Amino acid sequence: MFKLLKPNAVILHKTKPQVEQEIQACIGCNECLLACPALAEPITIDTLNRETIAGPISAPVERFTQACYQCGACVSPCPVGLHRDAMMMWLKVRQLNAPHRAQTER
Amino acid sequence: MNAISKKKYPWLISLLATLGSIILLLTTLWIYTRISADRSPFGVAGLTYAIAGLFLMGLATVAYTRSRRSRKRTVGALNAALHWHISFGIIALFLIFLHSFGNFELVSGTYALFGLVALVISGMIGRTLDRFVPRLIAREVNTALTEQGDDRIESVTRTLQNITTYHKEQIHSFQSQQDIQVVEKDMQMVAAHLVSQDGTALPTSWDLAYISLAETPQEIERDTEHYRFVPDRKSPLAEPSALVPGLQEQMAELQTVQRALQRERFYRAIIRYWRIVHICLALLTIGLTLWHLEYAATIMIPIYFHQ
Repeated sequence: MFKLLKPNAVILHKTKPQVEQEIQACIGCNECLLACPALAEPITIDTLNRETIAGPISAPVERFTQACYQCGACVSPCPVGLHRDAMMMWLKVRQLNAPHRAQTER
Repeated sequence: MNAISKKKYPWLISLLATLGSIILLLTTLWIYTRISADRSPFGVAGLTYAIAGLFLMGLATVAYTRSRRSRKRTVGALNAALHWHISFGIIALFLIFLHSFGNFELVSGTYALFGLVALVISGMIGRTLDRFVPRLIAREVNTALTEQGDDRIESVTRTLQNITTYHKEQIHSFQSQQDIQVVEKDMQMVAAHLVSQDGTALPTSWDLAYISLAETPQEIERDTEHYRFVPDRKSPLAEPSALVPGLQEQMAELQTVQRALQRERFYRAIIRYWRIVHICLALLTIGLTLWHLEYAATIMIPIYFHQ
């Protein structure tokens, strides 16, 4: 019962080098995406990792980035203790700075 | 409904289901009021609405919680569960309203209804916050990071260090030049006195070597670090850090970043604690509903089983 009231550990944002380091440490188990209540369509962890660092952001990832509300549900299931919410925040910042249109079908 | 609208609007099915259910319930209410004059919460329709509402309340709570804790999940399943959680919550509220038939005399039932209203409203506000607050966080994070994605505080601190080092070096070089000038001036004065009345130069006295050109203790004190130039109050030099250009701007940037970090922390706290408020309201509503059920049972059991 009290576990429900316990908030997830909060961290502030991470810098780009830290995000890159976390992405390199990701083992691609998909646990974070399975635990995400904001993700509505299938996205592979590989695509998400690749587009988080650099390059164009595809339409599904763009929609997911907008939908992510930083609840932190993705942090606790990660077997290697990574912060997917911080990576998503970096993706949000990238989207904010370069609001380019998605490369694939919208 | 095609696949694209499902991708873009994952909430569309649950929204249509909610609206359809509300229309269906209003139709049943209209039909019931045509065929029966019983408007009591404990009548056939009232009890039916109550049971259906209670079932949906339970479904909204249990289904989403189970889905969150389930080990067999697929990508997107939790999102769908969240949308059905919202949908069931709204339909349950509507059913409980219909169950009351506008009768708010029973305290336990009224409190349970108020609890449910507060719960649904808190959920709606929470979803609105979930939509807007992350954008505000992203804006603050953008302020706190440089264009290259590095920590802006670190960058500003490095610039401040560079400014300080540069000005320190400037001051040191200025002091040494001044020292040289003083020494040269002294030398010239000494040389001027070594002239006879008729203008012919006198030979350098042997004891001139004993005249110290080093600064007096007072002069040394003037040049030490605690000696500070105090400009006129009206002078632009009197402004803070006027003698160290760039310092004020960097300090202002540092304060801006610190304020952005504080706001980011505040926005994150809103998201975290609103969820806790919602869970607390859910627990309160469950408690009030159980109290109402117990109270309703004490009224209804004698009516239905002892007559």
